Formats: sequence, C-alpha cells, structure tokens
Amino acid sequence: MEKFSLGSENLDLRIRIAELEKELAEYRNGAIANGNGHTTHEVDEEEEEEEEVRTPPDHDDKAIRLDLDEFRRYGRQMIMTEVGLDGQLQLKRSKVLLIGAGGLGCPAAAYLAGAGIGTIGIVDHDLVEPSNLHRQIMHTVDRVGHPKVKSIISSLKRINPNPRYIAHYYALTPENSIETLEGYDLVLDCTDSPQTRYMISDACVLLGKPLVSASALRSDGQLVVLNNPPGEGPCYRCVFPRPPPPESVLSCGEGGVLGPVVGAMGVLMSTEALKVLLSKADKKKRRKPAHLSPDIRPVDAKDSPKKEEAPEQQRKFYMTIYSAFSDIPFRTIRMFGKRKTCQACSSAATITKESMKNGSLDYVAFCGGKGSGKYPPLTKDEVISVEEYNKLRENKEGGLLIDVRDDVQFGMCALEESINVPITTILTLPLAPEKDGTDGEDKAPVPIPSWLPRDTSTPIYFICRLGNDSRIAVQRLKRSGLAKGSVIKDIKGGLWEWSRKVDKEFPLY
Amino acid sequence: MASTFTVLYFASAHTYTGKSEDAVPGPMTIAKLFPYLEEKYPGFRKKVLSSCALSVNLDYVDLVEDAEKEIQNGDEVGIIPPVSSG
Repeated sequence: MEKFSLGSENLDLRIRIAELEKELAEYRNGAIANGNGHTTHEVDEEEEEEEEVRTPPDHDDKAIRLDLDEFRRYGRQMIMTEVGLDGQLQLKRSKVLLIGAGGLGCPAAAYLAGAGIGTIGIVDHDLVEPSNLHRQIMHTVDRVGHPKVKSIISSLKRINPNPRYIAHYYALTPENSIETLEGYDLVLDCTDSPQTRYMISDACVLLGKPLVSASALRSDGQLVVLNNPPGEGPCYRCVFPRPPPPESVLSCGEGGVLGPVVGAMGVLMSTEALKVLLSKADKKKRRKPAHLSPDIRPVDAKDSPKKEEAPEQQRKFYMTIYSAFSDIPFRTIRMFGKRKTCQACSSAATITKESMKNGSLDYVAFCGGKGSGKYPPLTKDEVISVEEYNKLRENKEGGLLIDVRDDVQFGMCALEESINVPITTILTLPLAPEKDGTDGEDKAPVPIPSWLPRDTSTPIYFICRLGNDSRIAVQRLKRSGLAKGSVIKDIKGGLWEWSRKVDKEFPLY
Repeated sequence: MASTFTVLYFASAHTYTGKSEDAVPGPMTIAKLFPYLEEKYPGFRKKVLSSCALSVNLDYVDLVEDAEKEIQNGDEVGIIPPVSSG
C-alpha cells in the first residue's frame, strides 16, 4: 500500500514538474520574443500602454533584476500602477529594519516579507511566551521559550524565502542604535515603551532615515510616519514633546490589548512602509491612465502639460488614531511639519550622534526614571510577603484586604474576602494638605471613602496582579492622611506570587 | 448652533475619565481647556494631559503656539495621549 501511494505521488509530482517546465519554456520564449528577457525594462513616458514597443534591457546601474518566479510571486502587486516593475525592483533593493518582533512587528514583517523587500532586519531580545500568542502571529506554540527573532525569521522564510533576513538578537540601546540602524533605508518602530520610541526617533533623525511608528494598547492604536522625507517631516518629539508620566505608562501585559487591534496597526505600518519605499522608485516610469494622456485630453485644458510637471504640492503629515470600540473607529489628524524648538530635528537641536553613542543621553531619565518614578520604594514595615500574609489569614488576622486591580480582572479571579477598590479610584484620593502646589484654592472637606475602616486597629493590606499598583496604593493612601495610625502594607509580588507560593490553583494570567 | 463643543478622550484619557467624550460649553481658548478639564477630573492634567497631543477638528494644535486660538461651539476636540505599547 505504502509503496503504491508513494509511487503514485511520485508520478503526480513528475507530471507537475513537466507541466511547470513547459510553462517556463513558453514564458521564456515569449519574453525573449518581446526583446525583454526577464530583466528591467523601461516604458517611456510618451509610449502608450497598449504599444508593444519596448526599449532594450537597461544595463546601467541596475544589478538587481527579477527572476521568473519573482514575477509570478509579486505579479498581483506589480500590476498596480503604484508599484510596477520599477517599484518592485525598488522594494528588492530596499533594506528595512523592524525593531520589535511582537504584536506590531509580526504582521508588519509578514507583509513586508511577502511584498519582496530585499533585506529585512529584526531587532528583539525577548523570548516567545504563551501570553504573546494571541496577537504575535508569527510565533507558534512550539517556539515558546525561543528567541523571538529566530521564531519570526523562520516564519517569514516560510512566507517568502527570497529576502535576506538579519537577526539582531539584542536590546536596542542609545549606544548601539546608530550602528544598528545605519545600514537600513527605513525603520519601523514596533517597540513598547516611551524610552525606545524617543530613542529610535532621535536615531532616525540623526541618520536621515524615515520612520514608521505605531503603537497599540487595549483597543486603541496610533500610526504616524516620521522624519519623512528626512529633514522635512516631524519626528516623535515634535508630535509628543513631553513624555507621559511613568506611572501612566502601561505595557500590554499591564493594560491588556486586543490582538486584532495591534495587528491592524502592524498591517497599516507595512502599508506605510511600502508607500515610503515606492515613493523612491522613479516616478517618470509610472504609467498614467490612458484617458489622461496629452493626446486624448480635452482641448480646452490649456495649462495641463505644465501642471503635470508642477512641483508636488505642500507635504501633508498626518497621524492616524484607531479607537476600535468608538462610534467612529478611525480618525486622521493633520499635522504641521517639524516643531521649531524640537530638541532632535529643528535647527535648535541639541541631540547628536556622539551624545547617543557615548550614552550621555539618558532616555530612561527623560521618561521619568525606571522603577523610581513608577513604583515608589516602600520601607520594610510597609511590605509583607505572601507567605506571611497567608499565615495572618489562617489566624483570622487578615485585616482588610484591598485588591486594586480593575473590576474586570477582579471579576476574573480574586481572593476570598478581598474587596475591590481599583487603583484608579485610589489615585483620586485627595492629598493631605502639604507642599503640593496644585491645589491653591480652598476645597471642601473630603468625605472618607466608604471602603476605609473607621478604626485604626484594622490593618489594611493592598494586593494587585504583580505587586506594582499595590505599592502605589500604599503610598497614596498614606499621603492622603485618611488612614492615619493604621497599619498599611503591600503584599509583595501580588497575586502572581500568591499563585506560585501559596495557592497553585489560583490562576496566573 | 450648538452651545457646546465635543471633547473626545482617547486611550489613557478615556481610561482616566471613564468616558469617551464630554460636551463642554464654549467658546473657549485652548489655554483654558486643560484647567477646565483638570477641575472636572482632578489629577487629569498631571497624569494624562501633560503629555497629550491635542486636535481641533482633526487639525493638530500646539498648546503654546495656538494657546489663544478659540474653540468654537460645534467643534470636535481630540485629547490624544501618546500610546507607547505594541
């Protein structure tokens, strides 16, 4: 049986090969008959679409040509007026760097690889985790624990083996960013933190590279093409001159994200990237619709030939924002060009290649510091381990356990007898009157929230998913002065630690 | 003519206010918008607005250069915080 089926499969394959060879021969003959081979060809402006006249292959500076299988592979996009043979060759000549092989990088890279970009570099220092798989569509179950760069490249090769893939298996830093970006024509920022966004933008400005930047969190996304054309378009600092306060910055792990939302942004990035690259192809070789050719145009359109050649109208810069659950999901904001006072791209710029290379630019500090700003340091007395707290609970001394996750997460799983006061509510607690300058005017006395114990003998314990927000809650409640005299502690490591050390049945997410 | 303009809250501005939009009585200069919103949502300015981009009728506006520009009733103002994840 097995022999027979293998034999018949073999025969099928042979027939198919013969068919393909025949097709190939026909294709070659046809191409040669047209005097065109499978190299570059030019269609002169004046020549009409239907004419069979072709100029001989272009032998000047173009070492790059397309193979027959590439005509087949890219034919569907090449027949578009926006692409054409020149556009396709331009893509093949292009070198694109994607920074980040996550929710944005996966779809963006898939389409760019599919489109036939010549060289695709990918920077990522992370490993594939199970929590990535719902959105990072180039990674698979069998690659969990493996470097994302390796995983994505092996998937991309399955889509298209033609491009040259370069893995940069390290984290981008100010010191190595110039060197990493230098060899590429275009950069895609598919990263996930404000620091890297400013850093990549600065490096692109310094190197004169256009940058396609997108981001997504929860059901929101943003997309903007920066420094395009280099030296003219705004940079990331022009759009967002002030970084977000660190405590407001959420990762997808913290804030959550819907797979297709980040996926849509990644796909849009690849479109913008193709647009930038194709704009470099020789526009003269683009065909115009036949009905707009000079001969057929209405006689009274006197000024048209001049108008055709007129310089491009003023550049338009824009940012697209996607708000998936909004009544109007997509909005596009028109932007002005560069900001006159921009630190990176204006004539008053202070950022230099040297300051990046020698590491004197501190992006972490610019964005408000790493842990320091985001998660307040607590004293020993303000922290309790999950094991210790479990003992207290067993002795019925658990006090008031406040879970500061939002109500959705609290609804997913929660410890018995805990109450839910989301961190967003805690953060609205008034501050005890002190040096804080923001409230100059008199304010009505603040009512004590109903969830706070009225007597100071009940200890208050804060818990959250990973033990970060609960630290903020401890500090914030103390600063409010509303629970003076009470014991207020953070349960270190949060529910994640609880699940690992106390109750293995408690869901990790 | 409407007696208000619409303020749209995107991303973390939406999370902070718990709303996707507000109707705000106008006209109002751009300079006065953030103090108005701060009063409505205490802490909003420092936590969110300070880093936001702002648009009026889908045009990016600069908080400093366009400070005296007036938002008219019927306008649509977008509060656009930087989203940095991905």
